[in-house]
Amino acid sequence: MKIINVEKIPEIIKKWQNDCEVFVPVDNEGAVDFIPWSEGSKITLEGNSLVPPKKLFFPQTETLYKYETKGQSANVIALEEKTAQRIIFGIRPCDLKSLEMLDDVFLTKGFVDPYYKLKRENTALVALLCAEACDTCFCTSMNIDPGAASGADIVACKSGEQLGLQAQTEKGEELLNKVSQLTTEGEIDFKKAGNFKLQADIEGLAEKLKEHFESPYWEAACRKCIGCGTCTYLCPTCHCFDINSNTRGDHGIKTRCWDSCMFSEYTLMAGGHNPRPGKKERFRQRFLHKLQYFPERYNKTACVGCGRCLAKCPAIVDITRIITELREVTGIGTGNVESVS
Amino acid sequence: MSNELTTQMRELAKKLLEEEKVQMVIGWEKGSLPYHSTPVFVTNPEDAQKLIWDEYCANNLASYLLDYRNSGMKIALFVKGCDSRAIVRLLQDQQINRENVYVIGINCPGIKDNFNPEKEIAERCRDCTHPEPVLYDEIIGEKPDRASDKERFEGIEEIENMTPDEKYQFWQKEYDKCIRCFACRNVCPGCSCRECIFDQGQKWLERRVVSSENAFYHLTRALHLAGRCIECGECERVCPMNIPIMKLNKKIAKDIDSLFGPYEAAVNLEEMPPLGKYKEEDPEEFM
Repeated sequence: MKIINVEKIPEIIKKWQNDCEVFVPVDNEGAVDFIPWSEGSKITLEGNSLVPPKKLFFPQTETLYKYETKGQSANVIALEEKTAQRIIFGIRPCDLKSLEMLDDVFLTKGFVDPYYKLKRENTALVALLCAEACDTCFCTSMNIDPGAASGADIVACKSGEQLGLQAQTEKGEELLNKVSQLTTEGEIDFKKAGNFKLQADIEGLAEKLKEHFESPYWEAACRKCIGCGTCTYLCPTCHCFDINSNTRGDHGIKTRCWDSCMFSEYTLMAGGHNPRPGKKERFRQRFLHKLQYFPERYNKTACVGCGRCLAKCPAIVDITRIITELREVTGIGTGNVESVS
Repeated sequence: MSNELTTQMRELAKKLLEEEKVQMVIGWEKGSLPYHSTPVFVTNPEDAQKLIWDEYCANNLASYLLDYRNSGMKIALFVKGCDSRAIVRLLQDQQINRENVYVIGINCPGIKDNFNPEKEIAERCRDCTHPEPVLYDEIIGEKPDRASDKERFEGIEEIENMTPDEKYQFWQKEYDKCIRCFACRNVCPGCSCRECIFDQGQKWLERRVVSSENAFYHLTRALHLAGRCIECGECERVCPMNIPIMKLNKKIAKDIDSLFGPYEAAVNLEEMPPLGKYKEEDPEEFM
């Protein structure tokens, strides 16, 4: 393992930045965000970002191509692809896991999204293991290890003022070689986060939910939801989008933007019919997508326990409670959850 | 939760439901974390035990009445001072029938911010003008012995003193943070349009999250609430991106107050919003 004092992290990043852009978690007026590092950026090694790093692979607003019309003909103009290499420094194990799910959506089952693929291939990931859980964290309930980072090129862990860096891929080796003069060989005493305040047990739930689409539970559970899109936009696994054209005269752009199943427009059809007309249908969709449909299609629960949805929900809709309540509704018992409160 | 107000709330709710005076009681229950108190909708008397009152009962429950505006249901709900003004808002806007709502006022000692639980008191409570509810059927809790430590329009002069360019830069920087989750709209008791302008198939607002669209969204909303904003601060509380939404709302309230006032929205049921009524002596300097 390579060791460096945390104060020296900017020096590593500066070195890396000679060849590529490095995104780092920075505390920006109380909200941590992944932004390109620049001289003076204050990197935060505590907690997690407010908006998940999915935005670096699947931006909220993305221009896909341009077009122009001339008389009866139309031209599609491809955008110049950005092929520059990027590094994300400080991605947490939960968010790393969410990328596996986005990979499933954007790269498998016979569909390959070139925009996503390019960004994924051009990005090296330096994961930061978690020594401390936030109040709203429950990754272990989603079978994610806060002390491991499979899929990362480099794994970093912090203990006191020391940061340990371990390459997991060739790309990671190369990056560490570039900064070898700044690091020393050694080991650090890292203890992963243990005290999780929230827990939920998803074992066996996906299968059972199939029979409870019409359960009166949804009507009661959805009441407090205000129908905003905060949970979906801050969720690292939510990936719904909408494609639109912006035409000005004889030219325009095609854009792809995040969309949310919590919005009435999301399922509104051209003729005016809305198959999910109200709060109940939208609320149910969000939870069933995470807990039943995604597991059915990709064999993974589309929740990584990052807790962002709960942390920022205006009405404190708590997915761990919903999972626990759904266990009761489906009759599979409270599950393996220690009493926490 | 064993404070006196909690006990009173549970007894009241139980009685109202048992006597079938209402079909639902909206209050707060405890969430998973100590600083999480979350809305609860009680429909049977036994569940009245879920109700609690503590310093984290932040949500303005009145906005939920919009979900039941066509149901004909009789609903009881608990309101703090600011929330009671939301009831007035909904009544003046003819969104609810007075006889279908049973309002239980709570003399509010000021609450904490569940998103910033380390703060002694929620920022929005610091300039509270109505800790005592302005409208209620019955009221619980001791009259609060507290004074605001902030004037109603304190801090607004900072914006007023900016040059147009500075103002533009200030707001553009804030609006660029917006992710357009619409939490500020959805939580607002003044946002009661059956079909919001922003939900009309991008006729008015593009889905693209870019400066111009974000500014259009925020400015439209602020102006739509001109003279109607009850200054409860829910929009700013729920904004995940920490946009100072109330700064603009307060600036507009201040303008309304100086042009047509003194006026404070939804404090008195009889006093309609200045932009919602005609008065001969209204200023018309621009004519």
